[in-house]
Amino acid sequence: MIFTLPIMSQFVAALAIAALASPLPAEGAAPGADGTSWTVHAKAVYTSTGQVLENAAVVVQDGKIRAITPGIVAPRGALEVEAVTAGFVEAGSRIHDGFFSVEQSTEVQPQRAIADSLDPFDVRWKRLADSGVTTAYVAPLERNVIGGQGLAVKTAGEPTVAARTVPGRGYVTGVIGSLPSSGNSPAFGRPTSFYNRRPTTRMGVEWEWRKAFFDAVAAKRIPEREFDGAAQLRQVLAGELGLYITAWATQDIRTAIFLKEELAREGFGTVQLVIEAAAEAWKEPKLLVRSGAAVILPPFPDQGRTQDQSFMPLDAAKQVADLGVPFALSAQDARDPGARMAAQAGFAMRGGLTREQALVAVTLTPARILGIDARVGSIEVGKDADLVLWNGAPFEATSGIVGVLVGGALVKDPRP
Amino acid sequence: MMRGTSSCGSLTERSPLVALRPMNALLLRTASTLGRTVSSAALAAAIVVGSSATATAAVQVDKLAVKAGKVITLNGETIEDGVVVIEGGRITAVGKANEVQVPWDARVIDQPSLVAFPGFVEAHSSNGMDRPNESIDVAPFLNVRDSVDPVNFYFEECLRNGILTINVQQGNQTVIAGQGMVVRPFGMTVEEMLVKPNSGLKMSADPKSGKSRATQAQALRGAFSGLRAYLEEMVQRKKDGNDFDRRQALYQGRTLEGDAAKGKAMQGEGWKVAGFELVPRGEVDEKQEPLLRVVEGRLPVWFACDSPAEVHTALAIAKENGFLKTTTLVLGNSCWKAAAAIKEAGVAVVLEPNLTHMERDPVTNDEIETFVPKVYADHGITFALSSTGDSNRSLWYQAAQCVAHGMSRDAALATVTTTAANMLGLGERVGKLSAGMDGNLVLMSGDPLGMTTRVEHVIMRGEHVYDRSKDVRAKFLLEGVQPSGTAADDVESIDIHAEEAKAGQKEGGK
Repeated sequence: MIFTLPIMSQFVAALAIAALASPLPAEGAAPGADGTSWTVHAKAVYTSTGQVLENAAVVVQDGKIRAITPGIVAPRGALEVEAVTAGFVEAGSRIHDGFFSVEQSTEVQPQRAIADSLDPFDVRWKRLADSGVTTAYVAPLERNVIGGQGLAVKTAGEPTVAARTVPGRGYVTGVIGSLPSSGNSPAFGRPTSFYNRRPTTRMGVEWEWRKAFFDAVAAKRIPEREFDGAAQLRQVLAGELGLYITAWATQDIRTAIFLKEELAREGFGTVQLVIEAAAEAWKEPKLLVRSGAAVILPPFPDQGRTQDQSFMPLDAAKQVADLGVPFALSAQDARDPGARMAAQAGFAMRGGLTREQALVAVTLTPARILGIDARVGSIEVGKDADLVLWNGAPFEATSGIVGVLVGGALVKDPRP
Repeated sequence: MMRGTSSCGSLTERSPLVALRPMNALLLRTASTLGRTVSSAALAAAIVVGSSATATAAVQVDKLAVKAGKVITLNGETIEDGVVVIEGGRITAVGKANEVQVPWDARVIDQPSLVAFPGFVEAHSSNGMDRPNESIDVAPFLNVRDSVDPVNFYFEECLRNGILTINVQQGNQTVIAGQGMVVRPFGMTVEEMLVKPNSGLKMSADPKSGKSRATQAQALRGAFSGLRAYLEEMVQRKKDGNDFDRRQALYQGRTLEGDAAKGKAMQGEGWKVAGFELVPRGEVDEKQEPLLRVVEGRLPVWFACDSPAEVHTALAIAKENGFLKTTTLVLGNSCWKAAAAIKEAGVAVVLEPNLTHMERDPVTNDEIETFVPKVYADHGITFALSSTGDSNRSLWYQAAQCVAHGMSRDAALATVTTTAANMLGLGERVGKLSAGMDGNLVLMSGDPLGMTTRVEHVIMRGEHVYDRSKDVRAKFLLEGVQPSGTAADDVESIDIHAEEAKAGQKEGGK
């Protein structure tokens, strides 16, 4: 018995759940011809919308969630697990070509799109998918000041970039900090080649940002000063594209916020800012709130200290949560299974977040930041069937991810 | 800088009871905030003892009763509302709080919301030293006691994470790296930290980079054939009436009295040197003596292997020289592929911190992940886990990962407590809470494997050695507490561009 429901608001979906509660599905959805139809039954379904449904069945048909029925025994043929959460949305993944994603010709590349260089056959997609990440946002490597436009993609499915793309909010991505200048040749000392890249300092990085925006605005009046990427920067100023800035340390987070405020003060426009890898966001609480920026936190470091010498205590996520700032957790490109997305959510709980807060920070909030929450980020009827299947309470160190569905396809099979 | 700050801080908080003893940098022994003194008589007694010549005496007469909401004994039972009584540094009773007779003069720590736990055991670690021996290839005479650094950050992390017993061993990168010892993570001197000396000799089948496995195997075998040649020469010199070895021993200041003056037939299950009973034991050079004890099965061996092929080398060398039964393998994570051979040899293993082995299929290029402890568990191999260098992922996390991958909680907990203790020959001293064991326990805020559980207090040999509320660095790691004046309270004042703009407007106005 299959219930087909259109995408609807959470309220209507809740009514649908109530309506479904009495006629029990006698049998789970048979796997579809393409293997994207299942019934998943769990003792606890964490919806990411504030609900934990007990003994609930999630019916998946053709890659979408078609029904959620709490309070029933597992239908025959269902995948039975302890808990189910929505697939994780990794807003700071680094599944790019590494240094091959860095454009050497100029630091400012807003016109470039990572879509043109993503490799759907990269083994890291499978690694991400197995760790519960079903959607990942990829920006170019943080070695260009303005690296280009990132892309949100599913971590499994037909291996083409087009098929995996999840259309959402566009972002121009870039970096403030020491990373873009690291490795660039110094102004003094022995040159390593006759071609020296600029900038070589944090000041230079900041200068590139401001110059880019001022030039883009100037080019509107003086057509001969138009340059590649100016149009995208003007889109950022018009609010049509967001600005996604990687900034680890306090000083760089400040610079990012001041840049946004400067652009507003000059009358250039209001930038929608996301600060990625903001390890020290907790250090500037008032400034962070004032900026209206959303934050993506990097993985929790081994002993407090992380990239750019920034310090990220275990309660960094808790502090940001208490400010009311929208934030997402990220495992970036963690290879170590003990430090992937589920572990990051667990560490955030160890630092004081509730399980619900940690869950939302790896599902719905990043989906909202990326503008893809109509499709992913929670377990609601009509959304993509991106599910993580657990053998215990989510994010506990004693719990493991035993199954993963991406778009209804069983990427990791919970059955022995 | 941080270490200096915290050690200065702790010096101001000495309790009268321990005023004469050196303090570990971070740790405080003021039990007053935690426990309550049951009677004024006991307090008076404590003060009297505290003012006597040595505070070590105070520890011996000190009686402590720790009451906890739950006592996880790891001895087959978990006691609700339990009590652990520690006298003279050892546990004398464990049971229900309303059934066990607590000595009238015992100090009582009553923590109904906490869980008492025996503490974790690190079966093998090369941390906590100035540096382990990674350079001298054949050095059986080296001992970590000369290298253990009591104020090393590692020991602090151990205490913070409830690891109370650590087998410190030399590094994995030499041939015969030297001897290790078992310590506790508390004390200002190596002697104070000592739990068990000479816990074994570290060997490695894993060659240094640039060297081959064949070279490594040759060096290992060479050490033992060298020992054999040396012993045979000694016997020959004795037969020839040559006094060389005795005079050399005297020259080097070695003892030649008591047992050292006696000769004994060589023991062991491997090779033996005929006529060795002619040689007084004290005449054997220190460089060779540890190896002799290994061959005789009297000194355990910790044998490092980084790949399955090296496991076979290590097992073969242990078998040839008769010390297979006293060998524990220290394994890199690809060694699971040699699990069948390990099972057949019947040796126990310690796993490296990274529990997941990742490899690429050479044909399909797919990434294959293997959760290593599961393989050993499925083969019925005895294994212990090691902690990572990550503050968030200590031994508790490692054991919890095993549960996440389907092992039972009891089995997972054993790998970081009782099993590890047995490997160290300390099964009757640490790893469980029962009468006769060392007076160690950890008070935790909840399930020992829980994500949000923390170590609140540590008791070692009846002393309160760790209190999280006073652990400055833990607070720093958790909350990022920083010196005042760095965060901007008045955010307007830090916007230099706004200041510039304002200044510009003023000028413009003029």
